[in-house]
Amino acid sequence: MIDPLQVSLKIAASGLEAQSKRVRIVSENLANAQSTGNTPGADPYTRKTISFETEVDRITGANLVRVESIDFDRSPYRIEHDPGHPAADASGYVKLPNVNMLVEMADMREANRSYEANLQVIKQAREMLSMTIDLLRNS
Amino acid sequence: MIDQIAPFVSQGAGSPLAVSTATRAPHLASPAHSQAADFGTVLGKLITDSADVLRAAESNAVRGIMGEASVQEVVESVLAAEQTLQAAIAIRDKVTAAYLELSHMAI
Repeated sequence: MIDPLQVSLKIAASGLEAQSKRVRIVSENLANAQSTGNTPGADPYTRKTISFETEVDRITGANLVRVESIDFDRSPYRIEHDPGHPAADASGYVKLPNVNMLVEMADMREANRSYEANLQVIKQAREMLSMTIDLLRNS
Repeated sequence: MIDQIAPFVSQGAGSPLAVSTATRAPHLASPAHSQAADFGTVLGKLITDSADVLRAAESNAVRGIMGEASVQEVVESVLAAEQTLQAAIAIRDKVTAAYLELSHMAI
Protein backbone atom coordinates (compact mmCIF):
# COMPACT_ATOMS: atom_id res chain seq x y z
CA MET A 1 0.00 0.00 0.00
CA ILE A 2 3.05 2.26 -0.20
CA ASP A 3 2.59 2.53 -3.96
CA PRO A 4 2.14 6.30 -4.53
CA LEU A 5 -0.61 5.72 -7.07
CA GLN A 6 -2.56 3.53 -4.66
CA VAL A 7 -2.08 6.21 -2.03
CA SER A 8 -3.40 8.87 -4.42
CA LEU A 9 -6.49 6.73 -4.92
CA LYS A 10 -7.00 6.62 -1.18
CA ILE A 11 -6.49 10.36 -0.77
CA ALA A 12 -8.90 11.15 -3.59
CA ALA A 13 -11.44 8.81 -2.02
CA SER A 14 -11.21 10.75 1.24
CA GLY A 15 -11.78 13.93 -0.78
CA LEU A 16 -14.90 12.42 -2.32
CA GLU A 17 -16.16 11.49 1.12
CA ALA A 18 -15.57 15.00 2.48
CA GLN A 19 -17.19 16.75 -0.47
CA SER A 20 -20.22 14.51 -0.36
CA LYS A 21 -20.71 15.41 3.30
CA ARG A 22 -20.46 19.05 2.28
CA VAL A 23 -23.20 18.60 -0.29
CA ARG A 24 -25.27 16.99 2.41
CA ILE A 25 -24.94 20.05 4.64
CA VAL A 26 -25.78 22.35 1.73
CA SER A 27 -28.89 20.36 0.98
CA GLU A 28 -29.96 20.54 4.63
CA ASN A 29 -29.52 24.30 4.58
CA LEU A 30 -31.41 24.68 1.32
CA ALA A 31 -34.24 22.41 2.36
CA ASN A 32 -34.67 24.28 5.63
CA ALA A 33 -34.35 27.78 4.17
CA GLN A 34 -37.95 28.50 5.19
CA SER A 35 -38.17 26.45 8.39
CA THR A 36 -39.34 28.62 11.26
CA GLY A 37 -40.16 27.78 14.84
CA ASN A 38 -43.81 27.24 15.78
CA THR A 39 -44.06 28.93 19.15
CA PRO A 40 -44.06 32.73 19.54
CA GLY A 41 -40.52 34.15 19.35
CA ALA A 42 -38.97 30.71 18.74
CA ASP A 43 -35.68 30.42 16.88
CA PRO A 44 -35.87 29.14 13.33
CA TYR A 45 -33.53 26.67 11.64
CA THR A 46 -29.91 27.76 12.06
CA ARG A 47 -27.65 27.47 9.06
CA LYS A 48 -25.02 24.73 9.40
CA THR A 49 -21.41 25.14 8.35
CA ILE A 50 -18.84 22.48 7.66
CA SER A 51 -15.07 22.66 7.98
CA PHE A 52 -12.36 20.27 6.86
CA GLU A 53 -9.02 19.33 8.31
CA THR A 54 -5.99 17.28 7.37
CA GLU A 55 -5.72 13.78 8.74
CA VAL A 56 -2.47 11.85 8.49
CA ASP A 57 -2.99 8.26 7.49
CA ARG A 58 -0.89 6.09 9.83
CA ILE A 59 -0.13 3.32 7.35
CA THR A 60 0.87 5.41 4.34
CA GLY A 61 1.74 8.77 5.90
CA ALA A 62 -0.55 10.44 3.39
CA ASN A 63 -2.45 13.60 4.22
CA LEU A 64 -6.10 12.70 3.89
CA VAL A 65 -8.96 15.10 4.38
CA ARG A 66 -11.77 14.65 6.83
CA VAL A 67 -14.64 16.68 8.20
CA GLU A 68 -13.38 18.54 11.24
CA SER A 69 -16.69 19.76 12.58
CA ILE A 70 -20.20 20.65 11.60
CA ASP A 71 -21.05 23.92 13.27
CA PHE A 72 -23.83 26.47 13.37
CA ASP A 73 -23.65 29.80 11.60
CA ARG A 74 -23.89 32.50 14.27
CA SER A 75 -24.98 35.31 11.98
CA PRO A 76 -28.29 36.98 12.87
CA TYR A 77 -31.60 35.61 11.63
CA ARG A 78 -33.62 37.40 9.03
CA ILE A 79 -36.57 39.28 10.53
CA GLU A 80 -39.89 39.61 8.79
CA HIS A 81 -43.08 41.34 9.89
CA ASP A 82 -45.85 38.73 9.78
CA PRO A 83 -48.22 39.00 12.79
CA GLY A 84 -50.32 36.03 11.65
CA HIS A 85 -47.43 33.59 11.80
CA PRO A 86 -47.36 31.11 14.71
CA ALA A 87 -43.74 32.03 15.44
CA ALA A 88 -44.40 35.79 15.48
CA ASP A 89 -43.29 37.52 18.68
CA ALA A 90 -45.28 40.14 20.62
CA SER A 91 -44.55 42.89 18.10
CA GLY A 92 -45.40 40.67 15.11
CA TYR A 93 -41.90 39.87 13.89
CA VAL A 94 -40.93 36.36 12.75
CA LYS A 95 -37.35 35.09 12.76
CA LEU A 96 -36.43 33.37 9.51
CA PRO A 97 -33.38 31.12 9.01
CA ASN A 98 -30.05 32.82 8.30
CA VAL A 99 -29.71 30.82 5.10
CA ASN A 100 -28.72 32.70 1.98
CA MET A 101 -29.75 30.66 -1.02
CA LEU A 102 -27.15 32.32 -3.25
CA VAL A 103 -24.34 31.42 -0.87
CA GLU A 104 -25.63 27.86 -0.64
CA MET A 105 -25.77 27.50 -4.41
CA ALA A 106 -22.21 28.80 -4.71
CA ASP A 107 -21.11 26.39 -2.00
CA MET A 108 -22.82 23.52 -3.76
CA ARG A 109 -21.16 24.39 -7.04
CA GLU A 110 -17.79 24.51 -5.35
CA ALA A 111 -18.37 21.13 -3.71
CA ASN A 112 -19.34 19.77 -7.10
CA ARG A 113 -16.16 21.06 -8.72
CA SER A 114 -14.04 19.68 -5.91
CA TYR A 115 -15.73 16.32 -6.25
CA GLU A 116 -15.04 16.34 -9.98
CA ALA A 117 -11.39 17.17 -9.39
CA ASN A 118 -11.05 14.23 -7.02
CA LEU A 119 -12.78 11.97 -9.51
CA GLN A 120 -10.30 13.04 -12.16
CA VAL A 121 -7.44 12.13 -9.84
CA ILE A 122 -8.94 8.68 -9.38
CA LYS A 123 -9.39 8.24 -13.12
CA GLN A 124 -5.87 9.34 -13.85
CA ALA A 125 -4.22 7.23 -11.14
CA ARG A 126 -6.23 4.20 -12.19
CA GLU A 127 -5.24 4.66 -15.81
CA MET A 128 -1.58 5.00 -14.89
CA LEU A 129 -1.75 1.83 -12.80
CA SER A 130 -3.46 -0.07 -15.59
CA MET A 131 -0.94 1.12 -18.16
CA THR A 132 1.89 -0.05 -15.95
CA ILE A 133 0.34 -3.46 -15.39
CA ASP A 134 -0.23 -3.72 -19.14
CA LEU A 135 3.53 -3.72 -19.56
CA LEU A 136 3.49 -7.28 -18.20
CA ARG A 137 1.10 -8.48 -20.84
CA ASN A 138 2.31 -9.86 -24.12
CA SER A 139 3.11 -7.00 -26.43
CA MET B 1 14.46 -20.22 -8.50
CA ILE B 2 12.17 -22.52 -10.39
CA ASP B 3 10.90 -24.57 -7.46
CA GLN B 4 10.07 -21.37 -5.66
CA ILE B 5 7.83 -20.20 -8.44
CA ALA B 6 6.05 -23.53 -8.32
CA PRO B 7 3.92 -22.82 -5.23
CA PHE B 8 2.81 -19.60 -6.85
CA VAL B 9 1.70 -21.27 -10.05
CA SER B 10 0.09 -24.23 -8.35
CA GLN B 11 -1.72 -21.87 -6.00
CA GLY B 12 -2.71 -19.48 -8.72
CA ALA B 13 -3.63 -21.80 -11.56
CA GLY B 14 -3.59 -25.30 -10.09
CA SER B 15 -1.42 -26.36 -12.98
CA PRO B 16 0.09 -29.86 -13.04
CA LEU B 17 3.06 -28.34 -14.85
CA ALA B 18 4.22 -26.84 -11.57
CA VAL B 19 4.46 -30.23 -9.91
CA SER B 20 6.37 -31.90 -12.72
CA THR B 21 8.94 -29.09 -12.99
CA ALA B 22 9.31 -28.83 -9.26
CA THR B 23 10.45 -32.45 -9.02
CA ARG B 24 13.33 -32.01 -11.42
CA ALA B 25 14.21 -28.53 -10.32
CA PRO B 26 16.40 -28.93 -7.17
CA HIS B 27 19.75 -29.34 -8.88
CA LEU B 28 19.01 -26.30 -11.03
CA ALA B 29 17.91 -24.19 -8.13
CA SER B 30 20.54 -25.03 -5.51
CA PRO B 31 23.01 -22.15 -6.17
CA ALA B 32 20.57 -19.34 -5.54
CA HIS B 33 18.54 -21.23 -2.97
CA SER B 34 18.38 -18.78 -0.03
CA GLN B 35 17.56 -15.82 -2.24
CA ALA B 36 14.94 -17.77 -4.19
CA ALA B 37 13.21 -18.90 -1.01
CA ASP B 38 12.52 -15.26 -0.26
CA PHE B 39 11.00 -14.82 -3.67
CA GLY B 40 8.63 -17.71 -3.01
CA THR B 41 7.47 -16.32 0.32
CA VAL B 42 7.05 -12.89 -1.22
CA LEU B 43 4.85 -14.35 -3.93
CA GLY B 44 2.89 -16.30 -1.35
CA LYS B 45 2.32 -13.17 0.68
CA LEU B 46 1.34 -11.30 -2.47
CA ILE B 47 -1.33 -13.88 -3.17
CA THR B 48 -2.78 -13.84 0.34
CA ASP B 49 -2.77 -10.04 0.24
CA SER B 50 -4.60 -9.97 -3.08
CA ALA B 51 -7.11 -12.48 -1.79
CA ASP B 52 -7.71 -10.22 1.20
CA VAL B 53 -8.24 -7.21 -1.07
CA LEU B 54 -10.72 -9.14 -3.20
CA ARG B 55 -12.58 -10.37 -0.14
CA ALA B 56 -12.75 -6.86 1.32
CA ALA B 57 -14.12 -5.53 -1.97
CA GLU B 58 -16.74 -8.24 -2.03
CA SER B 59 -17.96 -7.57 1.50
CA ASN B 60 -17.90 -3.82 0.87
CA ALA B 61 -19.99 -4.27 -2.27
CA VAL B 62 -22.53 -6.28 -0.32
CA ARG B 63 -22.62 -3.66 2.41
CA GLY B 64 -23.10 -1.03 -0.30
CA ILE B 65 -26.09 -2.87 -1.70
CA MET B 66 -27.57 -3.11 1.78
CA GLY B 67 -27.05 0.64 2.17
CA GLU B 68 -24.46 0.40 4.95
CA ALA B 69 -21.46 1.65 2.97
CA SER B 70 -21.20 4.80 0.88
CA VAL B 71 -20.89 4.61 -2.89
CA GLN B 72 -17.41 6.10 -2.64
CA GLU B 73 -16.26 3.34 -0.29
CA VAL B 74 -17.63 0.63 -2.55
CA VAL B 75 -16.07 2.13 -5.67
CA GLU B 76 -12.73 2.58 -3.92
CA SER B 77 -12.50 -1.00 -2.74
CA VAL B 78 -13.78 -2.46 -6.00
CA LEU B 79 -11.21 -0.41 -7.94
CA ALA B 80 -8.49 -1.67 -5.61
CA ALA B 81 -9.69 -5.22 -6.20
CA GLU B 82 -9.70 -4.67 -9.95
CA GLN B 83 -6.10 -3.44 -9.92
CA THR B 84 -5.00 -6.32 -7.72
CA LEU B 85 -6.70 -8.88 -9.90
CA GLN B 86 -5.21 -7.40 -13.07
CA ALA B 87 -1.73 -7.44 -11.55
CA ALA B 88 -2.13 -10.98 -10.25
CA ILE B 89 -3.36 -12.24 -13.62
CA ALA B 90 -0.55 -10.48 -15.46
CA ILE B 91 2.06 -11.96 -13.14
CA ARG B 92 0.53 -15.41 -13.37
CA ASP B 93 0.52 -15.21 -17.16
CA LYS B 94 4.16 -14.19 -17.14
CA VAL B 95 5.14 -17.04 -14.85
CA THR B 96 3.18 -19.64 -16.80
CA ALA B 97 4.72 -18.33 -20.00
CA ALA B 98 8.14 -18.81 -18.45
CA TYR B 99 7.27 -22.44 -17.64
CA LEU B 100 6.04 -23.07 -21.16
CA GLU B 101 9.22 -21.55 -22.49
CA LEU B 102 11.20 -24.00 -20.36
CA SER B 103 9.19 -26.99 -21.50
CA HIS B 104 9.90 -26.06 -25.13
CA MET B 105 13.60 -25.96 -24.46
CA ALA B 106 15.57 -28.51 -26.47
CA ILE B 107 17.39 -31.00 -24.28
